Amino acid sequence: MDLVLSHVSKNFGGLRAVGDVGFTVKKNTIFGLIGPNGAGKTTVFNLITGVYKHDEGTIRFGDQDLAPLKPAQIARVGIARTFQNIRLFSQLTVIENLLVACELQKRAHLAAAIFRLPVHYEDEEAMNERAMELLRVFDLEDVAEEPSTSLPYGNQRRLEIARAMMLKPKLLLLDEPAAGMNYGEAEGLKTQIRWLRDTFDLSVVLVEHNMQVVMGVCEDIHVLDHGETIAHGSPEEVRQHPKVLAAYLGEDDSEVDARKDGAPFRAEGKNA
Amino acid sequence: MTSDTTDRTSEAAAKPAKKPAPRRRSSKLPLVGLGVLVVVLLLDFFLKAIIPDSSIRQLLMLAACNVLVALSLNVINGMAGQFSIGHAGFIGIGGYTSAVMASHLHVSLGGGEPTFARSFIVVPLCLMASAGMAGLFGFLVGLPSLRLKGDYLAIVTLGFAEIFRLVIATAQASDANAKGGVLTKIGSALSSLGGQNGYQGIANQGVPLYAGPFWVFGLAFVLGVVAWRIKFSGWGRALRALREDEIAGAAVGVDPTRYKVTSFVIAAVGAGIAGGLMAIMRDGTPTVNPDNYNFAASFDAITMVILGGSGSVTGSAIGGVFITFTIKAIELLQNTSVVQDLRRSFEGLDLNALRMIIYAMVLVALMILRPEGLLGERELFQKRAPVKGPAKGKA
Repeated sequence: MDLVLSHVSKNFGGLRAVGDVGFTVKKNTIFGLIGPNGAGKTTVFNLITGVYKHDEGTIRFGDQDLAPLKPAQIARVGIARTFQNIRLFSQLTVIENLLVACELQKRAHLAAAIFRLPVHYEDEEAMNERAMELLRVFDLEDVAEEPSTSLPYGNQRRLEIARAMMLKPKLLLLDEPAAGMNYGEAEGLKTQIRWLRDTFDLSVVLVEHNMQVVMGVCEDIHVLDHGETIAHGSPEEVRQHPKVLAAYLGEDDSEVDARKDGAPFRAEGKNA
Repeated sequence: MTSDTTDRTSEAAAKPAKKPAPRRRSSKLPLVGLGVLVVVLLLDFFLKAIIPDSSIRQLLMLAACNVLVALSLNVINGMAGQFSIGHAGFIGIGGYTSAVMASHLHVSLGGGEPTFARSFIVVPLCLMASAGMAGLFGFLVGLPSLRLKGDYLAIVTLGFAEIFRLVIATAQASDANAKGGVLTKIGSALSSLGGQNGYQGIANQGVPLYAGPFWVFGLAFVLGVVAWRIKFSGWGRALRALREDEIAGAAVGVDPTRYKVTSFVIAAVGAGIAGGLMAIMRDGTPTVNPDNYNFAASFDAITMVILGGSGSVTGSAIGGVFITFTIKAIELLQNTSVVQDLRRSFEGLDLNALRMIIYAMVLVALMILRPEGLLGERELFQKRAPVKGPAKGKA
């Protein structure tokens, strides 16, 4: 199923966080969403997953309009995500973090658990097994019973992806998965993302600052700046695009201006 | 295993599949249940012989009811991480419903002494009505207010409980001849609940006290098991996950509003049952008074949960028992000659008022020594102790 955004806008008060953005994530592609800090990438994620509601435009996943759905319903449609600042269920163990994510796939509900119907045991066992398999895939098997916050940072990132995979998603949104990773880990991440796509037959949308990862793994890249589209294309096309270069490297004048203003900390790429 | 994705993941798993130990069904419970059934049956007939002092009997049964109060509040305050300080409202709704229902059933069954055989008709019906009524109000209060968080939810729940209490206490019947709308009729119906003096059954005969130790202790056990199973079900897990992070919970398909409202309704139902039991408890008082359901009662319930450890089923139960006995201990202390002598010289001395100070001191000490409560979120008799991960034996 394709994810199609067309003419999507979102305002926060007077601030236009996302303005008239449109792109299509085709089935089975790895799609990169990049741009300088504050470009609106995460806002786009939040619009897709229903955390925010868009003011204008449409977001469709296959033939499903996502606008009226709540975040939990969007997860059910098959869109899973990770977060820029890791959001794990900190008091729960590693495996419990995964088990929460399959709550909606269960046949047994609360009543079944209270009366301990056979279906409750079947479900729990099947889900446990599935969670353990995923933990094995993500090499977290040994820490399954540990509290999730006791994991080192890199493992927490992997756990977040594993939790998202519990939903059996058709579309996986990764928000800066390479943040804080060194060169070697980032190389590993590239392989892992491709492997996820191929093995689980899904599309991946990646918000990332790490150009090594983005250029290495994405097949299609969309560049935002100040909430607006400035370029779209293959990694090669985007790399050469003058607007992208300007947004990332800044223009000469603006840097000089910034110093003249006495505002040396002005965000890069923000033109005077 | 039926789901097809499991197969996908198993193909994907590079390492040979090591089966996790399947969870065994506990086979002890039927035995324990049978044992408890026998014990509560015996207690129902012989408690009077074992403990001749009716105030002690009352205290024991009250403790069991308070365990139910704490268990139910634990669902919303402990597991869901919301802060409700209006639990007395739901206890009160349960109490009044069951008292009125029991009185009417008693009359239609022909009056007389409440017998054990008859209690099998009266108690289940009363408690179901209490649970239903409290659950309904739980839903009505929870649906709009669970969009609020923290302090705001606390204020709404407190407001609800106080509105309930004051409406009952101040309802007045208008003149019988006066033409009235629906509101007047509701007013007179509510005024038949006795207003400030409390409901004392039909024709002030007193509420028939049907629920003997069999019901009180039996239900405390059964609902304790239910609370335990709720906590360790997938549903309870999802609820705890939402307490940690609502946005992440929603992102994995757990609808925060739905889960929170359901937990609120479950808590209200539990409180309704507890209140219903208290109202028709043998050796209890045959009146239901609005003052039993004031803010102090809500505060007691919160103290039970926090003291025992919010989120812990066994902890809440311990808290419930502890608080009940503390209240009683203070009352006993009040009656000792030393205190009575002191009272003669200081008329204002009222240890019941001091109770709040004692609580406060206990709570302050607890916050310093064990901020998570006696048990924290852990349980007594937990089957699977927190394992420090299996030994790493990678070849």
